[in-house]
Amino acid sequence: MIYVENLKKEFKKTIKDPGLKGSIKSFFKPKNEIITAVNDISFHVPKGEILGFIGPNGAGKSTVIKMLTGILTPTSGKCEINGQIPYKNRKNYVKEIGVVFGQRTQLWWDLALRETYTVLKEIYEVDDENYKKRMAFLNEALELEDFITSPVRTLSLGQRMRADIAASLLHSPKVLFLDEPTIGLDVVVKDNIRKAIKAINEEENTTVILTTHDLQDVENLCNRIVMIDKGLKVFDGEVSDLKRRFGQARELNFVPENAESINDLDYKNEFLLNEDDLSVENNGVSVTVRFNSDMVSVEKMLNYTLSKTHVKDINVTDADIEEIIKGIYRSEVSLDA
Amino acid sequence: MNLLRKIHRMFKLHRIFIKQDLKKLMEYKIDFLTGAIGMLLTQAINIFFLSVIFARIPSLEGYSFEQIIFIYGFALLPKAIDHLFFDNLWAIGHFIIRKGDFDKYLTRPVSTLFAVTVEKFQVDAFGELVVGIMLLGYSIPRIGVNINFINVILFIVSIFFATFIYTGVKLITSAIAFWTKRSGNITYMFYMINDFAKYPTTIYNRLVRTVITYIVPFAFTAFFPASYFITGGNPWFNIGGTVLMSAVLMVLGIFVWNKGVSAYESAGS
Repeated sequence: MIYVENLKKEFKKTIKDPGLKGSIKSFFKPKNEIITAVNDISFHVPKGEILGFIGPNGAGKSTVIKMLTGILTPTSGKCEINGQIPYKNRKNYVKEIGVVFGQRTQLWWDLALRETYTVLKEIYEVDDENYKKRMAFLNEALELEDFITSPVRTLSLGQRMRADIAASLLHSPKVLFLDEPTIGLDVVVKDNIRKAIKAINEEENTTVILTTHDLQDVENLCNRIVMIDKGLKVFDGEVSDLKRRFGQARELNFVPENAESINDLDYKNEFLLNEDDLSVENNGVSVTVRFNSDMVSVEKMLNYTLSKTHVKDINVTDADIEEIIKGIYRSEVSLDA
Repeated sequence: MNLLRKIHRMFKLHRIFIKQDLKKLMEYKIDFLTGAIGMLLTQAINIFFLSVIFARIPSLEGYSFEQIIFIYGFALLPKAIDHLFFDNLWAIGHFIIRKGDFDKYLTRPVSTLFAVTVEKFQVDAFGELVVGIMLLGYSIPRIGVNINFINVILFIVSIFFATFIYTGVKLITSAIAFWTKRSGNITYMFYMINDFAKYPTTIYNRLVRTVITYIVPFAFTAFFPASYFITGGNPWFNIGGTVLMSAVLMVLGIFVWNKGVSAYESAGS
C-alpha cells in the first residue's frame, strides 16, 4: 500500500550572524549550509493500518508527511502509495488521499462551513448521490450539524478540526494523512476525534498515517508506530513491542510511616546508577523512584527500601509509553529497530 | 473529447468559485462598497488630470485629446480583466509561499496555477473596466475608428492577448518566490511599468521605449494595438506583436511556475 524507501530531504539554509549587521552581511555574502531534514527513512504500511508517526519537534515528521502527500519533492529515495508516486502524478494521486494539517485549515475562512463542502464536492467530482451519503456519514461521525451553517471564522478550534477532517474525507480517500490532528484540543474533543478516526478506519478500511505529540493518540489508535529523531528512524514496530523492548523502566511508589526515615535511604550510592536509569522524587508524603529494571531488579529495589523504612503503602508499576519515549528522546542514541 | 471535458470542468469550477467569492463580498458589504468607490474615484481623478493637461496642450506628439483618451481607455481593459481573474498571483509573492500556505493547493486534484488564480475574483477591477468602457465609448465615435467585422475580431483578440501580457509578467515575477520565498516587490516593480503604456510610446526616450516594447512589453497592451485602430496601419506588428509577446510571456511563465512548484519548500509547522 505505502512503500517508503531511503527517503531523504535536504534543505539549503542561509546562515546569518545575529542582528541587523549579520543580516546585511548575509544579504551581500550569503553563507549556505545543507540541512538534512529527513535522512534515509524506509517503512511500509499495509492497507487499513493506523500508523503513528512520532518524534520530538523538528524531527522531520511533517517533512515526511509533506513528501508523502506530494507537497515536497524528495532529494532522493522513493515513496510509492497505491502504486503512484506523489510528486510525479500529483493531480491524479491526490484524488485518493485526504490531508489534514492541524495547524492550518483548508476551509473557506469567510463562508459558512457548508460552502466549503459544496466547493470540494466539485473539485473532487463527487456526484450528488455519493455526496449526500458521504455528508450523512461524516455528520454522524464528526457531529457537524451544530455548526455547518456558521462561518468558518467563528468556529472553535475543536469544531474547526472536525470540519477539516470531514473536508479531507469527502471524496472517500484510501489514505488519510493527519498531521497533529489533536493539537491544542481539550480532552473531550480529543477523544471524539479519536473515535471518529477509528470509526472511519474500521468502516472503510482507510489507511491512516498520523503524527502526534499526544501519546494517548498513539495508545488508543495506532497498531504500529514509527519513531524518528533528527531525520533518522529510531524505532519501527508495534506499540507493545516498544514497551517490551524499551519498557524496562519501572516506578516504585511508597508512603513511609515516618517521613524522617526517608533520609536513611540513599538509592544513588546503593545502586550507583546514572540519572537515566534511576531518579528519586520526594514530595514530603510519598516517594517515587523510577529505575531501570535491567540494571537493578525489582526484588533488590524492594528489599532495600523495606529494610530501611516502614511503609504504609507501596506499589511498583510499568512506566507508561510516555516515559519510555522521553527516555529515548533524552538518550539521543540511535536504536536500530 | 478529453480536452473538451477538461475545459468544461474548468469553466464550471470557475463559475462556482466566482459565486463563492460574491457570497464572500456579501459578508463584508462595507469593505466592498468602499473598495468600489475608491476605485472609481481614482479613475475619475486620473481623467480629470488628463483633461486639465489637454486643456493647455491641444495635442501630444501629434495625438489629439480624443486619441489619447482612446489609448488610455484601451489600456484599462486588459489591465482590468487581468485584475479581475488573476489578482491572487500577488498573494503568491507576498505571503502564500512564505507562510507555507501553498501546501493546500498541492493537495487538490487541479493544476496549482488554476487553483491559486480561481480563488480570488477581484471585483475591484470593475472600476477600471467601467471607466475603460466609458472612455472607449466617448473616444471611438470622435476619432473615426473603422468599425467592421475584422476590426471587431481584432479588437477582441488584442484585448484577450494583452490581458495575458499582464498575467505573464505577474506569473514570472511571482513564481520567483518559490526560490526567494518573497517576490511581491519584484512583481510590483515590473507591474508598475504598465503606467508607461497608457500614453503614446513616442513621447518617451529610446531606453524607455525599448524596455516597454521588448523587455517588459506593456506597450503591446495599449499603445501598439490602439494605434492600429487609430491609424489602421501595420497590423502585423501592432496586433501580431501583442499575440506573440503574450504567448512568449505565458509559456515562459508557466515554465518558471512549474519549475518553482518542484522547488517549493513549504514552511515549518
